[in-house]
Amino acid sequence: MRPHAPSRITRPATALTALLTAGVVLFSGCSSSDSSGSSGAGSGGTLTFAVGSDMGCVDPQQVGSNDTIYSVRQIVDSLTDQDPDTGEIVPWLAEKWEISPDSTTFTFHLRKGVTFSDGSALTAQVVKDNFDAVPRLGALGVLAKGYLNGVKATTVVDPLTVRVTFEQPNAQFLQATSTHSLGIASSASVKKTPERKCAEGIVGSGPFVLSKYVPSQSITLAKRTGYAWGSPRWSKDGEAYLDKIVFKVVPESGVRTGSLQSGQVDAIGSVGKADEAALEAAGVNLIHRANPGVVFNLGLNNANPILRDLKVRQAIQVAVDRQQIVDTIFPTGTKAATSILSHTTPHYTAAPGLDYDQAKAKSLLDAAGWRPGGDGIRVKGGTKLRLNVFWFANAATNQPTLELIQQQLKAVGIDVVLQQRQIAQFAEILQGGKFDALWGNLTRADPDILRTQYSTKGLNSYRLPVGPLDDVLSRQAAAADDAQRKQLVAQAQQLITENAYVVPVVELETELGVGKNVKDLDFDASSRIQLHDTRIG
Amino acid sequence: MNELLVEDVARGAALGPAPELQPGPRTGVARFFLRRPGLVVSIVFVVLVALAAFWPGLFTNRDPLTGVPEDLFQAPSSAHWFGTDELGRDLFSRVVHGAHLSLKATLIAVAVAFVSGGLLGLLAGFVGGWLDDVLMRVIDVVLSIPALFLSLALVTALGYGTVKVAVAVGIASVASFARVMRAEVLRVRQSVFVEAARACGARWYSVLGRHVLPNALGPVLVLATLEFGLAILSVSSLSFLGYGAPPPAPEWGTLISGGRNYLANAWWLTALPGLTIVATVLATNRIARALDGEWVKQR
Amino acid sequence: MRRYVIRRLAQAIGVLWAAYTLSFLILVLLPGDAVSAMTAGDTELDQAQIDELRHRYGYDDPLPVQYLDHLGRALQGDFGDSASTGRTVTATLGDALPQTLLLTGTGLALGVLAGGSLALLATYTGLRWLRQLLLSLPPLAVSMPVFWVALMLVEIFSFRAGWFPAFGNDGLRGLVLPAVALAIPTGAMIAQVLSKSLFIALDQAYVETARAKGAGRRHIHLRHVLRNASLPALTVVGLLAGQLMANSVVIETVFSRNGLGRVTASAVTAQDLPLVQGVVVFGAAIFVLVNLVVDLIYPLLDPRIVVASSKGAAAA
Repeated sequence: MRPHAPSRITRPATALTALLTAGVVLFSGCSSSDSSGSSGAGSGGTLTFAVGSDMGCVDPQQVGSNDTIYSVRQIVDSLTDQDPDTGEIVPWLAEKWEISPDSTTFTFHLRKGVTFSDGSALTAQVVKDNFDAVPRLGALGVLAKGYLNGVKATTVVDPLTVRVTFEQPNAQFLQATSTHSLGIASSASVKKTPERKCAEGIVGSGPFVLSKYVPSQSITLAKRTGYAWGSPRWSKDGEAYLDKIVFKVVPESGVRTGSLQSGQVDAIGSVGKADEAALEAAGVNLIHRANPGVVFNLGLNNANPILRDLKVRQAIQVAVDRQQIVDTIFPTGTKAATSILSHTTPHYTAAPGLDYDQAKAKSLLDAAGWRPGGDGIRVKGGTKLRLNVFWFANAATNQPTLELIQQQLKAVGIDVVLQQRQIAQFAEILQGGKFDALWGNLTRADPDILRTQYSTKGLNSYRLPVGPLDDVLSRQAAAADDAQRKQLVAQAQQLITENAYVVPVVELETELGVGKNVKDLDFDASSRIQLHDTRIG
Repeated sequence: MNELLVEDVARGAALGPAPELQPGPRTGVARFFLRRPGLVVSIVFVVLVALAAFWPGLFTNRDPLTGVPEDLFQAPSSAHWFGTDELGRDLFSRVVHGAHLSLKATLIAVAVAFVSGGLLGLLAGFVGGWLDDVLMRVIDVVLSIPALFLSLALVTALGYGTVKVAVAVGIASVASFARVMRAEVLRVRQSVFVEAARACGARWYSVLGRHVLPNALGPVLVLATLEFGLAILSVSSLSFLGYGAPPPAPEWGTLISGGRNYLANAWWLTALPGLTIVATVLATNRIARALDGEWVKQR
Repeated sequence: MRRYVIRRLAQAIGVLWAAYTLSFLILVLLPGDAVSAMTAGDTELDQAQIDELRHRYGYDDPLPVQYLDHLGRALQGDFGDSASTGRTVTATLGDALPQTLLLTGTGLALGVLAGGSLALLATYTGLRWLRQLLLSLPPLAVSMPVFWVALMLVEIFSFRAGWFPAFGNDGLRGLVLPAVALAIPTGAMIAQVLSKSLFIALDQAYVETARAKGAGRRHIHLRHVLRNASLPALTVVGLLAGQLMANSVVIETVFSRNGLGRVTASAVTAQDLPLVQGVVVFGAAIFVLVNLVVDLIYPLLDPRIVVASSKGAAAA
C-alpha cells in the first residue's frame, strides 16, 4: 500500500496538463469530426467503440450488463482497485484501510483533494451517502445490494475516514469496494431517485464525464480535466489521453465487425468466432480475457415442477456437449465450463460431473419416468418435457449457443423453446419467476458471487431449496483465513454441480476487436475495460 | 402497393378516355403461353414453391433444424447448394422448410383479408345506405394508417409468432379488399339481369348468392393473387424485425435477419433467402397480371 | 372551390379522430396495462400502492371514461409517458422526427428523380429492347424486400467497397445508402404510374394535333405530355407517404439510424403501449396531412377535379 501525497504532485501536474490540453485542443481542431484520431502526439482524439446492447440505465450502481459497464466504469472511481493478474486489492480513492479480525468492520482512509465533476469534494460523508443509497435501489441494484447485504451502519469517523460495519463477517466486502457497482458518486446525484439516476446519470470523480446519453443509441463521455487521482495500476498520471469516447449501440454483430474492418469504428466488444478470421485479416488486434465469476449457465428455476426432480436437472447437465459449443461458436481461447465459477476467479476449483454423456442423460430421464413420445420429445403423465429458456441479446454468442443447446437437448428428448427478451427486462423476469431457465453469466472477481446468486437467504432468484449449500456459503463469507475459505468455496462448487441447481456451460471469454491505431486499451480485474491510459493515432 | 391501384390511378386521373382495346384474333392456349415465357416460368416456380411447402422431402433430405457444427460457414457448393450457416445447418433445406412457414402465414393473411374484406365490401355494396357510408369511413381510416404500423400495433397487442404475424398482416390488408368488393357489388347490383331477377320476385339471398356474388368475385380474386405477393413481403418484414416464430424456425425473414450477423464472412446467408423471396413475389405478381387482363384482353 | 376545401379538411379531421380511436381499441386488447408495465421491476410497492397508482392514472375507470379522458389529453398534445424511455411520447417522437424526415425526404427526392427519368426515357425511346428493359425494372424492384435490398447495399458498397458507412446518422455519406434503399421501391411505384399515364396521354388527340402543327417530338413529350401525365403521379406521392414511413422502420433498423422508425421498432419490442399508440396516430396524421396537401394542390393544377367531385360522389 503506497500512501500518496497528492497535493505536492498536483500543482506541477496541473500546469503540465494545462499545457498538454492546450496542445491537444490545437491539434484536434485539425481532425475531421467523425473520424477517429488525430495528432501524432498520441493524445487527444475521439475513440468510437461499438457495443451490442444498452441496458437502459447509466447509473453505475444499477448497471449489470457488460456492454453498458464499459462506459459507466469510466465515470466513477472506486475506493480500491484490483490487480487483474494477482487479484490483489490496491488503494485508489482510499489510501489505506483496516479490517477488524472478524471481518465485520472496515475502516477506509480517503485520499485528499479528490473532487467530483460538479466541484464538490470527496469526504467520508459522501461515501456514507453512497452506501446508504444502495438499500433504496429497486430491482436493478441487485449487485450492489448483494455487496452490502447485512450492513449495520456506515459511520463518518472524521471528514476523511469512513467505517462500514456488518452484522456478520463479510470477507468479500473489500473486493466489492473495487467494483463499479460501489463506485462513488457525488452526494447530490446519489440522492436522486433510482429512475432519474438511470435516465440522467450521476456525477462522478472519474477520468471521464458523461456528456450525453441517448437510450439504445449512444453514450458519449468527455475527458475530466484536472483529474489527478487515478489508480496506481495505471501507467499515466493525471488526466486521460482521450478527449472523447463515444459508445455506439449496434445490435448486429455483423455490422460491428464490418464497421471495424472498414474503420468506421475504432473498437468493438463481443467478437464471436465467425468474425475472427476477417478481423485478423484486416489487421485488427484481438485481445481477450476470461471473465471471472459465474460462467454462462442455464439458470434453472428450481421451483418448476419438472425441474424439482434432481434426475431431470442432472440429465440436462450431462446432455450438453460443452466442447462442441466452444469449438463451433466461441472465440479462440474460450474454455468449456469445469465448474460454476470460471477459472480466473479466485479460489476456483474444478468440480467433476460436467462431462458430456448422452447415454447417461437418456437413462436418467428414463429412470425419472419420462418416456419418449411420438415426435421424440419425452412425455410423463400427459405433460411434455418442455422448457422455456429466456435469453437476451447482450452477447453475440447467445443465440447460436442456445440453438446448439436446443439441438443437443432435443437429441435426448427435451424440447427447448427459446424466448428472447430485452436486456432492460432482466431484473423483472428474474423476480417474476416465470422462466424455466434463464441464460446468462455474472462477472465478479470474488467467489462470494455464489452466495449472492444461490443462497436461499438472499434473493434466491433461482428458487433453490434450503439445504447444506446455504451454510457453506455463509461460512465462506465469514472465513478470514484464506486456506479455509478456499476449501469452503471448493465445497460450494461441488455441491452446486452435484445437485445441478444450475447448469454451467461455457466461460465468458471477453474478446474485443481493437483497431490498429488504438494503443493501451486494457482489461481490469473484472475483464471490463480501462480507458484512462488508452491512446489513439 | 398493387398494380390494380396503379392502373386505377393512372386511368382515373388521366385526361380523356382510355384507349380502346382492340379485340384481336382468338389465340389458342398453347400459343398464349408460348408467347409469354416469363409467365410459364412464373407458374412453374410457384408450383415448385407450393410443393416445397407441403412436401419438403421432395427437394431435400437434410434436417433444417439440426446441423453438423463442424461444417459451418461453407459457401454454396455441390454438397450444399445454398451453403451452410453458423451451426452447420444446410441453408437450402432451411429455405425449403421455410417455404412451409412463409406460405402458411401468407395464406392465412390473404384469407383473413379476403374473407373479412369481402364480407365488409359485400355488406356495404349490397345493403347500401348509412351502413355503406359508415363502413366506407372506417375503411378510409384504416387505409390512412400505414399498413406496417397497423400490423406492428396488432403485434404489440397480440404477441409474436407466425400465426399472429399473419393475422396482423391480414387485418391491415382488409381495406383494399373491401373497397374492390364493394365496387364490384355496386356494379353488378345495378346491372340488368339483377333487376330482372328482382322483378321476377327472387329473394334477396337468392339474388346475392346466385347473381351478385359469382359476378363480383372475379376482380377480387385477382386482387387476392396480387395481395399474395404483398403479403409475402409484409410477413417476411415482420419476421425480419423479430416478431415471427422463435429460433430455430427457418422463416425466410428470420433467415435473413440471422444471416445479417455474418454479412462480413458469409454473404450467402443473407443473399440467397432474399433471392428466393424476390423470385416468389415476382412470380406471383406475373401470374396476377396475367389473370388481371392479359387472357381476357386478348380474347 | 371553398366547399371542396372545407370538405377535405373535415374529412381529414374525422380520419385522424378515427385513427386515434382505432389505436386505442387495439391496445385495449392487451391483457396488461401501462401501470403494470411501469411497476413491473419495483419490489418496494405492494398491491395497495399499485392500486392507488392505477386509480391515480385512471386505469380503473370504465372504458368510455378512460377513452374520453385520453382523447382530451391527446387533443392538447399529451400522449402520456413512454414506458421504455421515461420521457413523454410527444418528446420522444418529436426528437426522432427530423432525422426520419431527412431520410424519407431524400429517399422521395431520389425516387422521384429515378422513377421519373426511367418513365420518361421508356416512353420516349423508339428502341423496343430498351423500352422492354426499362419497363421490366419497376416490377422487379417492388418484388424485392426493402430490408434485403438495404443489406445487399451494405454488403457491396460498405463492407466490400468501403465507400459508405454501414450505420449511424453521421453526415451526408451516412445518408446515401439508406436513402437509396428507400428510393428503390418509391421510384419503382412512380415509374409504373408515370409510364402508364404517359402512354395513355401519348394516345390523346391533342398530341397528334401538336405533331401536325410541326412541334418536335421532344418538345411534345416534355411540355405537353409530361405535364398532363404527372398529375396521377402526384396522387401516388400522397399514397407513397404511408409506404415511406413504413419502410423507414425497417431501413432505420438495418442501418442503426436514430429516427421514428427505430423508435417504433423498440416500442413494439418493449410493448410500450403509449408510445406505439402515439406512433400509429402520428403515422396517420402525416399520411392525412400529405394527402390533404396533394388534394388541395390538385385543383390548382386541374380545375376539372373540383367540378367533377362536386357533381356527386363517385363510386368507391
